Amino acid sequence: MNAPDRYERFVVPEGTKKVSYERDTKIINAASFTIEREDHTIGNIVRMQLHRDGNVLFAGYKLPHPLQYKIIVRVHTTSQSSPMQAYNLAINDLDKELDHLKAVFEAEVARVSGEY
Amino acid sequence: MDGASYQRFPKVKIRELKDDYAKFELRETDASMANALRRVMIAEVPTIAIDLVEIEVNSSVLNDEFIAHRLGLIPLTSERAMSMRFSRDCDACDGDGQCEFCSVEFHLRAKCINDQTLDVTSKDLYSSDHTVVPVDFSDATSGFENPEDQRGITIVKLRKGQELRLRAIARKGIGKDHAKWSPAATVTFMYEPEIHINEEMMETLSLEEKTSVVESSPTKVFALNPHTQQVEVVDPEAYTYDDEVLKKVEAMGKPGLIEIYAKEDSFIFTVESTGAIKASQLVINAIDVLKQKLDAVRLLEDTVEADDQFGELGAHMRGG
Repeated sequence: MNAPDRYERFVVPEGTKKVSYERDTKIINAASFTIEREDHTIGNIVRMQLHRDGNVLFAGYKLPHPLQYKIIVRVHTTSQSSPMQAYNLAINDLDKELDHLKAVFEAEVARVSGEY
Repeated sequence: MDGASYQRFPKVKIRELKDDYAKFELRETDASMANALRRVMIAEVPTIAIDLVEIEVNSSVLNDEFIAHRLGLIPLTSERAMSMRFSRDCDACDGDGQCEFCSVEFHLRAKCINDQTLDVTSKDLYSSDHTVVPVDFSDATSGFENPEDQRGITIVKLRKGQELRLRAIARKGIGKDHAKWSPAATVTFMYEPEIHINEEMMETLSLEEKTSVVESSPTKVFALNPHTQQVEVVDPEAYTYDDEVLKKVEAMGKPGLIEIYAKEDSFIFTVESTGAIKASQLVINAIDVLKQKLDAVRLLEDTVEADDQFGELGAHMRGG
């Protein structure tokens, strides 16, 4: 009766931004990114990549509620970098890693199929 | 700004590759990446499935919505799915989401005229696009031996005089919306185990103790070599991370005899597809979809410019 529609899990409604962020007023170099209509698939992978950044002091994500389809990623960095920079760097690195993975996988498929 | 990159360089080795089954090893990446790929393969790789059914005549024993539900679950060959548009995003049609760019039309006409029960199957569904058809499950080799397997998925059975006539529209969708759009039958990954046997301690065991160690594992991981009387690892990947062997070894009073670790960056993936997309293509599509999702989640240009308040320059400007 109160269940949201299934397409709410991935369709961003008009007027809502997909990604928005709020700087933390009390801690310097800290921000929370709110990503609409995403779940653990993106949250965990971005968080683990942020951990690999030397400039990142703290990185975590949560789903505030399982029926509200958004994630909040919180990042603290040193003064050498900023949360936005760290976040974008993480996304770019993941993108490059996926490009590499795709190339390696396609090469491997071609090699295995070529053997027949 | 800086050239630092914390990218990883994963490695892939395919062990088995068939049309609907792929088994491969993924190394030098994180569990989060493996899990993300698994989740995307199950829930977010788009396929095509019947979504709207208009029934003209139905005098069968199953009611309309029952048959419509069954039609939705029939897997359709979905190579076109990645390049198609979602019906809700299509601007070519006049709003009803039934144009040729975003949907595929099917029709089915069946009437039972003789005394024998008529099996209405997925082979009776005729498509308007020959690249999107119900998946053919018949094995090429057993064509003449087993005619029963070639009949397709049964939709409904009709008696003499019963008729079924309908028109169906298939659309692009993802598993997150409804499971009929999921192209994966099962996708699993396991950590690759590393098994160490302490040979010196093994020497101190009698033959019965060695046999009991080998047999304590529910799956055949170890075997007793009949010639050398040594316990050997025969199939490390049969290990299901139950700790039965470790418990047995401890109960025998010899902890450390066998040590088993899960390699944290080495995964063995098993991908089984429903036939809508080939297994290898499923993995490639999953990588593409994951890239699209990451792209959508980037910070936009206007938010990046508000960066000046952070960093050393910002602190300096504020007099800090």
